[in-house]
Amino acid sequence: MRTFPEYISDLFGGIKSLLTGLSVTWKELWTKKVTQQYPENRSTLVISDRFRAELVMPHDENNEHACTACGICQMNCPNGTIQVIPKMVETEDGKKKKLLDRYVYDLGMCTFCNLCVLTCPSDAIKFTNQFENATFTRGKLVQQLNKEGSQLRAKKPAAPKTQIQTPPKEA
Amino acid sequence: MLQNYSQPLEFTNLTTWIDSTLGANLPSFWSIAIEMVLVAVALLAVYSLTAMILIYVERKITAFFQARIGPNRVGKYGIFQTVADVIKILLKEIIHVNKVDKFLFYAAPFFMIVASMLTFGAIPFAQGLHAVDFNIGVFYVTAVSSLGIIGVLLAGWSSNNKYSMIGAMRSGAQFVSYELSAGFALMTMVVLTGTMQLSEMIESQRFCWNIFNGHISAIVAFIIYLISGHAETNRGPFDLPEAESELTAGYHTEYSGLQFGFFYLAEYLNMFIIASIAATVFLGGWMPLQVRGWDAFNQIMWYLPSYMWFTIKVFLLIFFSLWVRWSFPRLRIDQLLNLEWKYLLPINLVNILVMVLLVLAGWTLNDIF
Amino acid sequence: MAQQIIFYILAIVISVFSIMAVSSKRLIRSATYLLFVLLATAGLYILLGYYYLFAVQTAVYAGGIMILFIFAILLTQKPGDKIAPEPMRQRLLAIALSVIGLAFTAHIIMHNINRVYTLMDTQITTKHIGMTLMGTEKFQYLLPFELISVLLLACIVGGIMIARRR
Repeated sequence: MRTFPEYISDLFGGIKSLLTGLSVTWKELWTKKVTQQYPENRSTLVISDRFRAELVMPHDENNEHACTACGICQMNCPNGTIQVIPKMVETEDGKKKKLLDRYVYDLGMCTFCNLCVLTCPSDAIKFTNQFENATFTRGKLVQQLNKEGSQLRAKKPAAPKTQIQTPPKEA
Repeated sequence: MLQNYSQPLEFTNLTTWIDSTLGANLPSFWSIAIEMVLVAVALLAVYSLTAMILIYVERKITAFFQARIGPNRVGKYGIFQTVADVIKILLKEIIHVNKVDKFLFYAAPFFMIVASMLTFGAIPFAQGLHAVDFNIGVFYVTAVSSLGIIGVLLAGWSSNNKYSMIGAMRSGAQFVSYELSAGFALMTMVVLTGTMQLSEMIESQRFCWNIFNGHISAIVAFIIYLISGHAETNRGPFDLPEAESELTAGYHTEYSGLQFGFFYLAEYLNMFIIASIAATVFLGGWMPLQVRGWDAFNQIMWYLPSYMWFTIKVFLLIFFSLWVRWSFPRLRIDQLLNLEWKYLLPINLVNILVMVLLVLAGWTLNDIF
Repeated sequence: MAQQIIFYILAIVISVFSIMAVSSKRLIRSATYLLFVLLATAGLYILLGYYYLFAVQTAVYAGGIMILFIFAILLTQKPGDKIAPEPMRQRLLAIALSVIGLAFTAHIIMHNINRVYTLMDTQITTKHIGMTLMGTEKFQYLLPFELISVLLLACIVGGIMIARRR
């Protein structure tokens, strides 16, 4: 059984906390509204940089990417979104080397968990915030991320360049 | 009653004109019959209009509390949003559920709507706009509004659904407890004014609203009435009977179309009714703000017609109810019953005694000044 | 005229729903029909102009007792199931008993109605009722009022005793 003073202090403590809550929401009432009226404000829309909307493979001006076709991203992907299709090429000095042929990414399967980007040893892929990915067919969601004719960026500028005897790619 | 201020925009002129015209041209039976029909139609129209306005206001204010804009597509600022919603709900199919108790299932929404309609009729909207003015006004309101809960209980049971059932049981427990507090809070004010008739109550608050007149005790009663009124309407932090996260929609889970619309309408109107009873009993109803002796000031106040005063007061209270609703988390059922039986009810009982002492000792503001 | 029509409507509602309340096979429906009976009775009071009695009838019976009834029924086992009909002998007995009761009550009412029947023209104010309930003079009811409150107190104490015995 509680004592009477405890009861009273409980009561007023409760009232005080209720008033604190009310004052918080009162301030919230006058804050700036955060609603984005999307199709109208498309030009001024600000999407956070960290928003994960689509996986891309950045290419530099020489049409070179950093993907070594190691397949770690494919192994880490929880639901088989990524398919790395390598090809074997012979370098100048007669060694065989595995290079990226096609990097297939199925946007429709992706859960945007970011595991591929985190585990990529050469930072070849990243997520962008380009969120307008709607298409009319599911087939269009399956994308090839490496561009036509792109090649692996050399590790060091001094390193000998690999010669690629690529057969013309099939679509 | 003597009203020597000019009141340019009142409805009284219109109603008197209708009454005298009908009385002059028709036998009294028919004129009364026609007036009754007119009053009923007007009440129904106001009822549905109020609900639509309230739904819009609620959605807008809710949005503002959550730093959103709210409905803004249908018409400028979305003012026709509820019109569109009403049309939609009218066109929706009423889904006939198979294993329900048919009679009770279809009767339940009517309990809700009839109870809130009966209460709605007793609200004094403005000077002369007061359909039912019993000498037991306050008591009538409490009595009739308690019918709605039967609709909830029957709806919950007859739906043959566990969510509905649990919702109905919670609602029943909640309503039975909080009706007590609401009744006691109103009783405190009856002690102060010495009458239960709503029109007399308003008249007695002419120069000093009850909440000022009874100072400490009246303010406590006002707060308690607002809390228990919220609880009775199943809104705000007291929405256990229809807690979305636990019970889908509680007692009206199985209802669709217009039947659901009835529940929805009754819920909003109950909020309005609680606010208007609070405004009438504590804040002087439709009576403009007046100060004894300041004739010019009083005249200016009367230029704003009485229904506007009523609307302003009611909407302030409704705003407060929304404010509370979006501030506090939902109570658990044991917390709910604790609040009523361990806090509100004892405080109320002490409060009513304090009020009796205030009145007997002549310490109300009207007595002092 | 209008009053008569309303009276007959209410009377029909009361009698029909009373019969339905006792003859319905589902418990919860019986309760609902009983509620309609109580509400129609409240309607009779309002027809007579006894507003206070009307409000009491609605608040106490319809709002209070019926909610408790329905609540209690909801807590019983399978309130929606149909009740098995009673054996014929018991039904006949029940009908006979109710007819006897009806005749007895009707006789008393018919016999006495003209002697005590006065319809008050004026509304009975709440103040008047309160004074009568709390007065100690002739035709005032302080003693019965207090006796009833003692009875209620006993009920509450009894309820607590039952609830405490775990």
